[in-house]
Amino acid sequence: MASVHESLYFNPMMTNGVVHANVFGIKDWVTPYKISVLVLLDEMTISKRMTLLERRRLNKLILPLQQGPDLTLRHFLKTVEECSAETAFAVKLRLHMMVVGELKDMESFFDTLPNPFSDAESEASKTSVVGLFMRHMLLAYNKLSFSQVYKLYTALQRYYDDCLGSQPGPPTAPPVDADMELSEMELTSTEDGAEGKMDKEDDEAPRRCPLSQKQAEYFLARQAYLLKNDENKALKPAALQEELNNMLKFNPDFAEAHYLSYLNSMRVQDVFISTHSLLHYFDRLILTGGDGKSNGDEGYGRSLRYAALNLAALHCRFGHYQQAELALQEAIRIAQESNDHVCLQHCLSWLYTLEQMKGSDSSVLTEDSVKMAAHFGLPYLASLGIQSLVQQGATGGKAANMLMDALKDTDILHWKHSLSELIDISLAQTTSIWRMYGKSTMALQCAQVLLNMNSLEQVDFGVQQNNTEAFAVVLCHLAELHAEQGLFGASSEILKHLKERFPPHTQHAKLWMLCDLKIQFERAMNDGKYHLAEPHVAAIAALDQMEGLYRKGLVMKAQNQTTDAYRVLQRLQLLCEKTKCTEMIIRVMLTTAELHWESSGFSTALPLLLQALVLARQHHLQALASETILHLAFSQLMLGVPEQALNILHEAMEPILAHGALLDKGRALLLVAKCQMAVSGGREDRRTGLEQAVQTLDEAAAYFSRMGCKDRLRDTHYLQARLHHALGHTAQRNECALLFRMVDQELPPARYGLPDG
Amino acid sequence: SASRGRLEGGATAQQYEKMAALSSEFGDLVQIKKQLISVISLCKERGLVHSVKWASELAFALKPLPMSELPPPAPLTEEDVEDLDALGLAKSYFDLKEYDRAAYFLRGCRSKKAYFLYMYSRYLSGEKKKDDETVDSLGPLEKGQVRNEALRELRVELSKKHRTGELDGFTLYLYGVVLRKLDLLKEAVDVFVEATHALPLHWGAWLELCNLITNIEMLKSLSLPDCWIRDFFLAHMYTELQMIKEALQKYQSLIEAGFSKSTYIISQIAVAYHNIRDIDQALSLFNELREQDPYRIENMDTFSNLLYVRSMKPELSYLAHNLVEIDKYRVETCCVIGNYYSLRSQHEKAALYFQRALKLNPRCLGAWTLMGHEYMEMKNTSAAIQAYRHAIEVNKRDYRAWYGLGQTYEILKMHFYCLYYYRRAHQLRPNDSRMLVALGECYEKLSQLSEAKKCYWRAYSVGDVERMALLKLAKLHEQLNESDEAAHCYIIYIQDIFSCGELLEHVEVSTALRYLGQYYFKNKRYDEASLCAQRCCDYNDAREEGKALLRQISQVRDQGEASSADVSLPCVFGSLSNNNTPVRRVSPLDLSSVTP
Repeated sequence: MASVHESLYFNPMMTNGVVHANVFGIKDWVTPYKISVLVLLDEMTISKRMTLLERRRLNKLILPLQQGPDLTLRHFLKTVEECSAETAFAVKLRLHMMVVGELKDMESFFDTLPNPFSDAESEASKTSVVGLFMRHMLLAYNKLSFSQVYKLYTALQRYYDDCLGSQPGPPTAPPVDADMELSEMELTSTEDGAEGKMDKEDDEAPRRCPLSQKQAEYFLARQAYLLKNDENKALKPAALQEELNNMLKFNPDFAEAHYLSYLNSMRVQDVFISTHSLLHYFDRLILTGGDGKSNGDEGYGRSLRYAALNLAALHCRFGHYQQAELALQEAIRIAQESNDHVCLQHCLSWLYTLEQMKGSDSSVLTEDSVKMAAHFGLPYLASLGIQSLVQQGATGGKAANMLMDALKDTDILHWKHSLSELIDISLAQTTSIWRMYGKSTMALQCAQVLLNMNSLEQVDFGVQQNNTEAFAVVLCHLAELHAEQGLFGASSEILKHLKERFPPHTQHAKLWMLCDLKIQFERAMNDGKYHLAEPHVAAIAALDQMEGLYRKGLVMKAQNQTTDAYRVLQRLQLLCEKTKCTEMIIRVMLTTAELHWESSGFSTALPLLLQALVLARQHHLQALASETILHLAFSQLMLGVPEQALNILHEAMEPILAHGALLDKGRALLLVAKCQMAVSGGREDRRTGLEQAVQTLDEAAAYFSRMGCKDRLRDTHYLQARLHHALGHTAQRNECALLFRMVDQELPPARYGLPDG
Repeated sequence: SASRGRLEGGATAQQYEKMAALSSEFGDLVQIKKQLISVISLCKERGLVHSVKWASELAFALKPLPMSELPPPAPLTEEDVEDLDALGLAKSYFDLKEYDRAAYFLRGCRSKKAYFLYMYSRYLSGEKKKDDETVDSLGPLEKGQVRNEALRELRVELSKKHRTGELDGFTLYLYGVVLRKLDLLKEAVDVFVEATHALPLHWGAWLELCNLITNIEMLKSLSLPDCWIRDFFLAHMYTELQMIKEALQKYQSLIEAGFSKSTYIISQIAVAYHNIRDIDQALSLFNELREQDPYRIENMDTFSNLLYVRSMKPELSYLAHNLVEIDKYRVETCCVIGNYYSLRSQHEKAALYFQRALKLNPRCLGAWTLMGHEYMEMKNTSAAIQAYRHAIEVNKRDYRAWYGLGQTYEILKMHFYCLYYYRRAHQLRPNDSRMLVALGECYEKLSQLSEAKKCYWRAYSVGDVERMALLKLAKLHEQLNESDEAAHCYIIYIQDIFSCGELLEHVEVSTALRYLGQYYFKNKRYDEASLCAQRCCDYNDAREEGKALLRQISQVRDQGEASSADVSLPCVFGSLSNNNTPVRRVSPLDLSSVTP
């Protein structure tokens, strides 16, 4: 009696208290949709009259049909019809025969199914994808009990009737009263809102039939891949969550779904659900990971360690540094206790990442991590560590050749192990480093290399390009580089592309937003439209605090709010010194020097500029160094030593003309012209000197007009007119004077300050 | 004698009044009894066995009616007479669980009774098939999808009749059940309320309503029929909503109204006491219940929980044996046996019985949690985690399971990881000190001492059951060299321990006394110090230190050093009582009156 009793009821399938997720050990089972696919496959092997093109189209269809979720019959037939109308008709006919017939028709179908495949010369051999699918299905079918077979048959009938029963073509008579009831159901639903909702759900239900384990695995793998590589193509967060909830409702033991739910809620920055899902996933994983008592490398103990580690990562991503640190310590302790070096290694790399995020120096940790990773043969972690080191080195002013060497070495490692993700990152990093050093040509080249490279990874799930962070970074650099050269059309094209590839809600969207804002800000400033630049400041500050503060200072300076600007810059400098952001420090120093000029404190600006120069040279920041030299030269010019100024200017001219932005080139040339004028002031070869200056000014004017920098263009034209006047070229003088007048009218009333470098 | 006579006369007058009051009460009860008897027969005819059981239990608790008072059977209508044979046949099939067959013979009937039975058999047939198919489904993922296929059709037909107002109390009830099964909860509530108005005496409708009401506001918003059965419903509802005080009041008034013999009420009160952890009251009630109804199995799992908490081995063993004799294939029986084995530390067997309970009813929440506890005892953490997770899946608000998960991870020494689970448990039971102490311990392990202090203090403030929070807090302060705070905590701790009468942990009391002695000594409060030292001598482990301290004190006193009268010293015994810290009991200096 007892045994009968037990077998009758749902058995939670427990052995040693562990419920196995897959109760029957079957990953797949027969559904009406699968029968349709089987019919199609059978039809394809039998029919000889198919054209080659049709056959090829159908062959391409097989895999998605096998792996995808169950489709409605109508949808299925439409898909097949698109490839071969004849086959679709044949499939429909055979299904129809099966449905209007009796149970034996379905049974005989399964009996004869293996025949075409048993032939030695059959296209679908036993081990092929089709053959395996076929055998899976046969196995699953043969395992069915009598009542299950009958249930399957009725399900098939319903499946057929639901889609085609209402169509005029097939001669099956739909059960009349049921139909009437359904229509009445609709009637009630229109009357009552809440009921209507329920009915709609009911109607959707057949479409969202439960996935088999295989289908679910495929679905999860696909979505996870898309989330990582091309978020756009993945389901929208809400839709994905709904799918997952649905999946979990039917099978709460499907732990991977919880993990995907974690990833999904990370997308929308939902700390509550993501924590919940993550912990739930690991609670579930612990169950499936081998027997309960093993604490070794495999199974249970292992998943515990990684559970803690993942929790740390989660807190890290949400910026809960203290929590992250505690979780990480825990992971490290457990990993140490069980001698899991691989896990420890992962912990270490998270540890230095955490330190870095907190803004403290972690190079020692990183170095250790790289060494250990190399020792344990973990190339991914090793080169990730090296990349992180390179980044720290670059900001910390390490020698450029060393950094480049390191990157080259890791590149070799990447290619050897086909770590395509890291290759992308490495190229993006190189681009950034070149850009930081002020070598725009090299940066441009690297960016192009990455963009033109064919990804190593197989093009999977129809994702043609990798929409990863590396690509976003490189594209942003490209946009800024084009904007610097005055190619605003091209840069806005790139930004448009970025917007399409990384829509605003996705995780890397902040990158291009900042880039876009910076470009707009620069243009507004150059145009002299400070009121337009001001709103951008707030937006920039939202994305990047320091950058925002800097821009705020710039706008204030431009609007002659000297004291306020000075205060802002001082605050920024303190902030920078805390975070060791050298680039920004130098820029702040330069701007502060400019403020000193405004109050004619040229000599007070000098020590500041020299300090900036030292810093820039130390960190190999060529662009900034050149700019500092320009500032120095201007100060010297104003202090009355134009010869000196001209001397040091020569040093800076070459890199500026080679790599600099258009604006910098123009400014440099304007300054050179001024120096030339000043130098030639007292001498007898004054005329040649002035003529030289005129030429220089012509060039500068060309740059300024390309940039649309009217403020400086006006100054240039003024100087030109004065020079021509001095040289006695009346016609040219008048021309320049006219140009000056035109630009001056466009601009707001001039602020009578000193034109800066 | 005249005066005496008058007195007696007065007494009889009083008696008369009393009797009059009783008889009016009794008259009510007669009415109630009549109603119960008629509703019993109505439900019986329709196969609503649980309502029959409830009503019969209640009717049994009332006095038997004389022959003349018995209510006449419900009058037959023309239609009833027409359907009499078909109904008789169908009912017999129905009783034999051949629902489809019953429905088939009822399909043409027009009487209301037959219609109800017709629809009800169709519903039950669908339910039965659903259960069968759960075993027989095509694959594991499909399991959640098995549905009662009859529900949609039933809903269509019933809603049609509902609109035309053709449904009586019983069919309304069935309509409500169908709606609930289709997850149309809002509509279901409305229909059940309607059903209670149409037929207030049908307990099933009330019970269904009870399952759908989630909070007190919702309960207040419903307009319910004014009937004596409503009080039963409200009492039940209050118990469900954890408003135990109100529930107990209601039940008390019901008992006073004349239902004192009802086993139903007794069991409900016992469960209510169990919920507020008033173990003694609950135990005595359960014992009473078992005397009155020795073969009862319902609620016995709760009883066994109480016995378990009190470690009453023989009683639990007797209960288990008794229940096995009655019916060993009941969820409650399995839970009782599980508890029994657990108390005997035979955890494998206990787990086995909880598993068996789950096989009988996989949605049995308590068993999942209890099984988790057993696996914890067996140090099979992964199985424990799984069991707790299942419990949470059945009911997300099961704080025991969250707490259990936390404990499991704590055993695995993942103190940060378990914080999340303890926090969840704490959210569900904000005033339960156990979660707070657990949280505090975790924070302490993570060296987040300020958080730990907060947790301990809060645990003490909400009423610490295990009396460990203060001690831990004191030790924490001691660690941080915050001697004043530590002394303060120890003082409150000692007061607590002594005032509650029973002495729990001698070791900890002596630790506290030892610390306080040293503390007072350092602060030159020699009187208090010597008092503490004397108390110390009562404990074996602190005796030597106590004596040493006493010697030191007398030494210092001999040297003529005066006891410090520094008023600024914080929280010494005397100043405590007028301190604003939550002091509850005897004067703290009154230590001598307590014999340790």
